[in-house]
Amino acid sequence: MASVWAKSLSNLPVLSVFVLLLICLPPGGGQKKKENMLSEKVEQMMEWSSRRSVVRMNGDKFRRFVKAPPRNYSVIVMFTALQPQRQCSVCRQANEEYQVLANSWRYSSAFSNKLFFTVVDYDEGADVFQQLNMNSAPTFMHFPAKGKPKRADTFDLQRIGFASEQLAKWIADRTDVQIRVFRPPNYSGTIALALLVSLVGGLLYLRRNNLEFIYNKTGWAMAALCVVFAMTSGQMWNHIRGPPYAHKNPQNGQVSYIHGSSQAQFVAESHIILLLNAAITMGMVLLNEAATSKGDVGKRRIICLVGLGLVVFFFSFLLSIFRSKYHGYPYSFLIK
Amino acid sequence: CCGLGMWRMSSLLSFSILFLACLAGFSSRLFAVIRFESIIHEFDPWFNYRSTHHLTTNGFYEFLNWFDERAWYPLGRIVGGTVYPGLMVTAGLIHYMLNLLHITVHIRDVCVFLAPVFSGLTAISTFLLTRELWNQGAGLLAACFIAIVPGYISRSVAGSFDNEGIAIFALQFTYYLWVKSVKTGSVFWAIGCCLSYFYMVSAWGGYVFIINLIPLHVFVLMLMQRYSRRVYIAYSTFYIVGLVLSMQIPFVGFQPIRTSEHMAAAGVFALLQAYAFLQYLKDRLTRQEFQTLFLLGVSLAAGVVFLTVIYLTYTGLYAKIHIPIIASVSEHQPTTWVSFFFDLHILVCTFPAGLWFCIKNVNDERVFVALYAISAVYFAGVMVRLMLTLTPVVCMLSAVAFSSVFEHYMGDDTKREKPPQEKAEEGLGPNVKSIVTMLMLMLLMMFAVHCTWVTSNAYSSPSVVLASYNHDGTRNILDDFREAYYWLRQNTDEHARVMSWWDYGYQIAGMANRTTLVDNNTWNNSHIALVGKAMSSNESAAYEIMRSLDVDYVLIIFGGVIGYSGDDINKFLWMVRIAEGEHPKDIRESDYFTPQGEFRVDKAGSPTLLNCLMYKMSYYRFGEMQLDFRTPPGFDRTRNAEIGNKDIKFKHLEEAFTSEHWLVRIYKVKSLDNREPLDHKLRSVVPRQKYTSKKVTGLLYVCT
Repeated sequence: MASVWAKSLSNLPVLSVFVLLLICLPPGGGQKKKENMLSEKVEQMMEWSSRRSVVRMNGDKFRRFVKAPPRNYSVIVMFTALQPQRQCSVCRQANEEYQVLANSWRYSSAFSNKLFFTVVDYDEGADVFQQLNMNSAPTFMHFPAKGKPKRADTFDLQRIGFASEQLAKWIADRTDVQIRVFRPPNYSGTIALALLVSLVGGLLYLRRNNLEFIYNKTGWAMAALCVVFAMTSGQMWNHIRGPPYAHKNPQNGQVSYIHGSSQAQFVAESHIILLLNAAITMGMVLLNEAATSKGDVGKRRIICLVGLGLVVFFFSFLLSIFRSKYHGYPYSFLIK
Repeated sequence: CCGLGMWRMSSLLSFSILFLACLAGFSSRLFAVIRFESIIHEFDPWFNYRSTHHLTTNGFYEFLNWFDERAWYPLGRIVGGTVYPGLMVTAGLIHYMLNLLHITVHIRDVCVFLAPVFSGLTAISTFLLTRELWNQGAGLLAACFIAIVPGYISRSVAGSFDNEGIAIFALQFTYYLWVKSVKTGSVFWAIGCCLSYFYMVSAWGGYVFIINLIPLHVFVLMLMQRYSRRVYIAYSTFYIVGLVLSMQIPFVGFQPIRTSEHMAAAGVFALLQAYAFLQYLKDRLTRQEFQTLFLLGVSLAAGVVFLTVIYLTYTGLYAKIHIPIIASVSEHQPTTWVSFFFDLHILVCTFPAGLWFCIKNVNDERVFVALYAISAVYFAGVMVRLMLTLTPVVCMLSAVAFSSVFEHYMGDDTKREKPPQEKAEEGLGPNVKSIVTMLMLMLLMMFAVHCTWVTSNAYSSPSVVLASYNHDGTRNILDDFREAYYWLRQNTDEHARVMSWWDYGYQIAGMANRTTLVDNNTWNNSHIALVGKAMSSNESAAYEIMRSLDVDYVLIIFGGVIGYSGDDINKFLWMVRIAEGEHPKDIRESDYFTPQGEFRVDKAGSPTLLNCLMYKMSYYRFGEMQLDFRTPPGFDRTRNAEIGNKDIKFKHLEEAFTSEHWLVRIYKVKSLDNREPLDHKLRSVVPRQKYTSKKVTGLLYVCT
């Protein structure tokens, strides 16, 4: 605000015109004009938000509708960088959550002109970012109806995350407007399942005269092993916790695929473990195969040795990875 | 004659191997007893011990009707109707039998050694089950595996007197009897299965796993067109008798006919009856085509219903994970591959091979073990603590894999008797065979070494008594917990009410025998939130809450002196979160962080944190204490920071006891002063001479 004053002071002619205008206007007209301006602004905002639940803003609009004083409504602003060239994946996720929240507000029965959701993209309003000394996106800010935004009016994204429910809680805290977050039910999973079922059903129907393949034990065994490998390599952990694929050290650009702690893992790491487990299992199966199959002895001997090699080598490899993660584990086998 | 001798030899060998497996299992669970003493571990076992003690002193019916007024003050808790009584009854029965034989042991020793004894029984029932599935050799290997595997030891070391210790035995034995009854189709085995199931229901909430897995097995058998009269008899008997028996447990009550997780069993029962009826009709009628179509339609419809029920059940389970009080417990986390490897070692990489062999050579009971493996591995992936239900099936299937390798590669006596030309045709040669055998044995040896190391280092700490090691290897015992609980027992009024965070509720009730406000049976979230609110408010607000709850003493755990990381300051954010869930207006999590979003106890920490009750109680007089010369006074070793508020004074509390290493601190809540003291100075009136008589009456008027 102070900087705005300073600017206008340096622009003395403009100021003097403004002052002259003020003097010339009849008394009471300023108040009336203010009210007119306010109702105009509210109307404009209502119109925009009835068209889209989140109002897009550039620098001018932002200054006029969010910063400029005659206001009786709160504005939530998301500062973000959604252009693909900015490569901000967090912004996209945050935007989705923000849209869910804004839609819940837009279509709720309590919808009023007391609260508006807006967004400022860096590529459309870089000046706003500079003006507010903002250097990270996404950022959520609340501009209250009266007064300047305080410290608590900036949403603590680092700590709380950007789930719509958390945002709604923060808004309720700042503005006393309760928003019940209504997530559009995610039908994609159900549709995919239905598609799969109908596909399988269709396949079965087409091949109804030759259903031999259902009795193919190898197929079923493979499917069972897939489930087992996925679980024992911690894919469920990945699904729930969502770790990064691998870690790239920003200093020297080295990529590490194995997480250093035993409490966590990378996606790449779990894939490596999956392959190792599968190799060991295959080794065991080959060992058994070599002993039971009827065929050339030399060939069977090779199969047997390959199987043994798979089991022993990959198990030692697995053990050494485990050892590097679980500090203080004393045992190793073949590979340190 | 010779064959009989062989049979005798092999059964003697089996017997001694099983016996040794039980012995090894029993002794590897004794690390804690030998290092420390015969003591009950951790938290939940203390409650189980206390209720077992109540059972043995007051009798069974008194136990069933027990209303515990020493927990959840002022609400109390109906214990008889809210526990699985199997564990207490088992321990009480053993104690009774021993005393009948004039072997006078204390009930505590029975409780401490119950889980290791039952691990021997688990080994035997795993042997029986694996023998039914594969063969005798695999059974023996499986028994050896389960005796020492860390995934099971984690829940059954001596002193961990908990439901899981006996429940895994009941689980395996029920499955053995189920497989047996499907194989024979006899009502005798099915009734045996029901009785074992009844024992399981009385022991552990995990019985839900059985009542879903067995119907799933029957359903899959029907889909595979492996329906037979044996399956019909086994399942019909099991379902009806098992249902009636399970409803006899007061805690379970009418749940089996009400809740969604039992509906799958009912659905499959109905389906089985319909299927059997149609089979009967099919024998009478001739319209084959129509019949099969009809069957397909019915089974599809039932399958859809069954799958929806399963889906609803498990999505519900999944949602439960996200409640804060559940999320605060570390056992309810998904599992990384490291935990799998840590608990199962080589078994986790080889058991898929066993699964492969089972599916390739499928029969009725191998369908069962495959379903068991797949469902258990899924649940173990979702939640760390369900590793326990995965462990037995992993042992069985790994035993299948290893035993089929050993069968082919170990020198076999029967083959030597065959004519030489046949042997030359199929043999792999003695060198290859012995290399394979040697390496496999070496892997198994590494498994045994790993199990012992893990048991000794990770799973044998009682957590009631701590130990620290000096540089020269000598050991310090930190017995602060028991010191403090004993102090409470000896120095406070018998009916004194002790407030602490819920983790220590069972221990206070068990060791100090004092009334607690909240404990590890977290059934009342709002009560816990109230305690959390008291801990995270400032002193005067907390005093209001403590007055309203009649608190006499407050007990906290403080690890700053010795660097113990599981103390209350480290758990503090959970208290705040749980309190915020119920009282969002008064407690805000963000108030306890610095503007940068950090949780700090030093000068930069948020003022709300530095003045809340928990902080003040933890660091009272800590600012005067210099631990060593390199650090300033008031240096917290757990969080490596110099505390931010060294001048702590109490108004409504006073320090009552602090244990030797400051691990436990107890504060007494003062009762109200006689009258409210005024915050400001009393008005001093200097009466002026000429108005004396008027002022006095005026002053009196003001005062009243």
